[in-house]
Amino acid sequence: MPLPVPDVPASRRLALDCRTILDHRVGKGVCGCCGALRPRYKRLVDNIFPEDPEDGLVKANMEKLTFYALSAPEKLDRIGAYLSERLSRDVARHRYGYVCIAMEALDQLLMACHCQSINLFVESFLKMVRKLLESDKPNLQILGTNSFVKFANIEEDTPSYHRSYDFFVSRFSEMCHSSYEDPDIRTKIRMAGIKGLQGVVRKTVNDELQANIWDPQHMDKIVPSLLFNLQSGEGVESRSPSEKEKESPVELTERCFRELLGRAAYGNIKNAVTPVLMHLDNHSLWEGKTFAVRCFKIIMYSIQSQHSHLVIQQLLGHLDANSKSSATVRAGIVEVLLEAAAIATSGSVGPTVLEVFNTLLRQLRLSVDYELTGSYDPGSSIGTKIIKTHGERQLQEAVIRTIGSFANTLPTYQRSEVMLFIMGKIPVPGVHPALASSGSGPEGTRMIQVMLLKSLVQVTAGFQTTNMLTALPSSFLEPLLSFSLTEDPEVRLLVIHILLSLIDRHDNRPKFSTISIISDISVLKLKVDKCSRQDNLFMKKHGQQLYRHIYLGCKEQSSGRQHYENLYNLLALLSMELANEEVVVDLIRLALALQDLALSTEESMPVYNRCAVHALAAAYLNLICQLTTVPAFCQHIHEVIEVRQKEAPFLLPEDVFIEVPKLPPSLEKMEGEVLFLQSKITEVLGGSGYNIDRLATPYIPQYTDDDRLSKRKSIGETISIQPEVESRNSPEKEERTPAEEITFETLKNAIVDSVGMEEQERERRRQVVEKFQKAPFEEIAAHCGARATLLQSKLNQIFEITIRPPPSPSGTISSGYGQTQSRSVPVYEMKFPDLCVY
Amino acid sequence: MSMEDYDYLFKIVLIGNAGVGKTCLVRRFTQGLFPPGQGATIGVDFMIKTVEIKGQKVKLQIWDTAGQERFRSITQSYYRSANALILTYDITCEDSFRCLPEWLKEIEQYANSQVVTILVGNKIDLAEKREVLRHRAQDFAESQSMVYLETSAKESDNVEKLFLSLAGELIREAKQNKLDNSDAAPTLGEGKSISYLGCCSIN
Repeated sequence: MPLPVPDVPASRRLALDCRTILDHRVGKGVCGCCGALRPRYKRLVDNIFPEDPEDGLVKANMEKLTFYALSAPEKLDRIGAYLSERLSRDVARHRYGYVCIAMEALDQLLMACHCQSINLFVESFLKMVRKLLESDKPNLQILGTNSFVKFANIEEDTPSYHRSYDFFVSRFSEMCHSSYEDPDIRTKIRMAGIKGLQGVVRKTVNDELQANIWDPQHMDKIVPSLLFNLQSGEGVESRSPSEKEKESPVELTERCFRELLGRAAYGNIKNAVTPVLMHLDNHSLWEGKTFAVRCFKIIMYSIQSQHSHLVIQQLLGHLDANSKSSATVRAGIVEVLLEAAAIATSGSVGPTVLEVFNTLLRQLRLSVDYELTGSYDPGSSIGTKIIKTHGERQLQEAVIRTIGSFANTLPTYQRSEVMLFIMGKIPVPGVHPALASSGSGPEGTRMIQVMLLKSLVQVTAGFQTTNMLTALPSSFLEPLLSFSLTEDPEVRLLVIHILLSLIDRHDNRPKFSTISIISDISVLKLKVDKCSRQDNLFMKKHGQQLYRHIYLGCKEQSSGRQHYENLYNLLALLSMELANEEVVVDLIRLALALQDLALSTEESMPVYNRCAVHALAAAYLNLICQLTTVPAFCQHIHEVIEVRQKEAPFLLPEDVFIEVPKLPPSLEKMEGEVLFLQSKITEVLGGSGYNIDRLATPYIPQYTDDDRLSKRKSIGETISIQPEVESRNSPEKEERTPAEEITFETLKNAIVDSVGMEEQERERRRQVVEKFQKAPFEEIAAHCGARATLLQSKLNQIFEITIRPPPSPSGTISSGYGQTQSRSVPVYEMKFPDLCVY
Repeated sequence: MSMEDYDYLFKIVLIGNAGVGKTCLVRRFTQGLFPPGQGATIGVDFMIKTVEIKGQKVKLQIWDTAGQERFRSITQSYYRSANALILTYDITCEDSFRCLPEWLKEIEQYANSQVVTILVGNKIDLAEKREVLRHRAQDFAESQSMVYLETSAKESDNVEKLFLSLAGELIREAKQNKLDNSDAAPTLGEGKSISYLGCCSIN
């Protein structure tokens, strides 16, 4: 409704005119020259208006006015005032033709005059825009907006402190939400609103003296208005070709939103993103994901990249704030995080890398708790909302993927840190009860174990390091390997996956994803680099552990096709990535030991597992013989494989690792040509300079206290023994073979003089301990020796602690080898590993 | 005719549950009509009306907000600069009355501390369906030291009175407190900084 101002009668108009003359005098002080009734500027202004508004602006007279304004800039303010006065009157009288003409004139003057006096002129100009915006006529609103946008694009050279854009922000935001009946006009109004907001932003953003557009009071209006338009255009794809040429409201909004974000400085990001989060909350847009993802894609691509971690942090904060919201909401936020992390550059995680992962892991644990307890509040038994297991599962998957996505942005050293961090969070029942999930029992602990291992799989995917030793410290590898011995097949499989991605540095992994006998490995186009010194050290230090875990993994009855395929992959990658001559020998011994395992009648392995182990050993020997390129070795392997193909195809991967394995009902005693012969292999490899003594020695894996501990872990007994303490024992009991006994003795003799009675006494005791451990080893196999081993490990632990201060096992072993006397470390710390390993 | 076509400018924001008749109240007051089948407001709506009170021209900027929850973030941002809030409920809807404390909490949180709040029970034309008794609302308003008024946008009962009395109250406050923001910090276009304009507005 227009303003209820009555029509001004002619007499009054005259009076008005007289008054303006008076003003003129007042403003100018004493002015002698007022011969004409109307001042010149007024006549010039009046002349631009035609008799009939249909005719439009009188161009010639407009030029005169512009020229006058340029030559007498001090008059500009009055011209503006007079024009705006006329315009107000015309608005009130519904003479919209004249309104448009006045506005056009104002625009032209504004464009023409880039001088200091523009400041006063702007006052009257904006007053007019405001007047137009107050109108309820869409045309006038749009007219006013257009003029405002033109004005916004002018750079003023003098700031104006007293200008406030409150009304404009409010009104433009309101126009963005226009609900005008006619859809075409509604779209126009909304677009005008968006352009207006864009104008306000442009006008104010770079000028610190002007209203701070980044204040929440403005941002809380601008951002939701933009998002509303961005969202309301969704799904409207079917536009006519003519409309497609023009920019759609959604496109315009997106452009405007991007511009706004692109201008945001460090301190403003928060104010700009907070309303986005609120809008998505209020409109329940997390559930649908697509819009939320789209918003944050726009945000991440538009803001300056060094600020992206601020957005990530806000999202994480929002996720925490929504801890008790439904799984779909949380999953939506996580999904957005995932996308945002993928866009952000390497610095995206910002200074608080571990905090990011901590938040995600916390969410993972919360979700597991919710799923198991069925309530958002563990204290009360009655959940206010019904928790859908399905939703929580999806959330967990999303969190895990997000962890991976974040890890991918990190440099190698930070990734190792994150791996250790996650490893430290994996609960071990009985050992770190405090870290286990609250109130969800062993099932919860298991689920969290699986979740965290899955996260580790994500983090390690694509992880490439030149130095295995620093990338895989014992503090990471040892707990990881201890998980590989649990009875839970899923956990074991995850551990192998993690090992595979860590070891594979040349993308050879996919080439061994299935087991088969490859007659010529050159088709695989394997990439092999020479093994570096660090790699050799790594294998020296951890090789035995890895072999043992492969062996035991094969032995587990619950191992299935996937396990064997991945174990094969692991063996293959070890030979690709980390094998020197010594390792090759050990790996061949391991393969032969696996064959013995499958033949052994002591083990109660099912037929499938036996055949699988046979097939695995065959496939691996086939691979390694070609890698060693010893013709005689290759020949032996091929002969055995050929015999098997004829007589016992069930011992080859092609018959075992298929949908329905073709297995015999039972395995009779096998001998002769279907088996790989240790003696034969030793003979042929000896000719090529491999260590015959070592080859001739059968590989016998030993359970260590460490292994038994993890066995117990899986059963869930609660004994608090630190794995670190136990694991120190593992290398020393690796090799207890006749061949090594000699080395052992020699070394022992060599050191005896420098070692006191203590050491000898310890050695003696240790041998007693070992003897005892032999017996439990069999017993465990028969599942009946738990108590003896328990006692044994206790004894061993106490023994360890009292004899020497606990040094880090890694340090002693690696440095001890070959340079025993060269470092000033307490004598028995150094000697011990030497004695044991070699 | 002066350069400024008003003596006072006040911003009034209407709030309350969805469907209590906020938009109808504004329409009735500014345009004199009662739009039947009025759809839900989207975001915010804007109307302006100039009234004359004791010879002074008062321009009322009326921001009519959406009652729907999903627009809460945009509507809240309009409370801040409001001089007055009209908190509306529907006398035929107990729920809309029960929500009032929540709305007061929002006002507390987002609005200016000096804001004038008035409680309005709308739809008295539907007296036979009344669920909230007058004295209950009256007591509630008193306990919160608000003025209470019952209106009917349909029958145009008390609508004029509502806005005019609010304008009167705002003028009184403005005179009492010369430093009130509408005077102290002239917004764009209502600036008084240009001296000769000040002279001109004497007549």
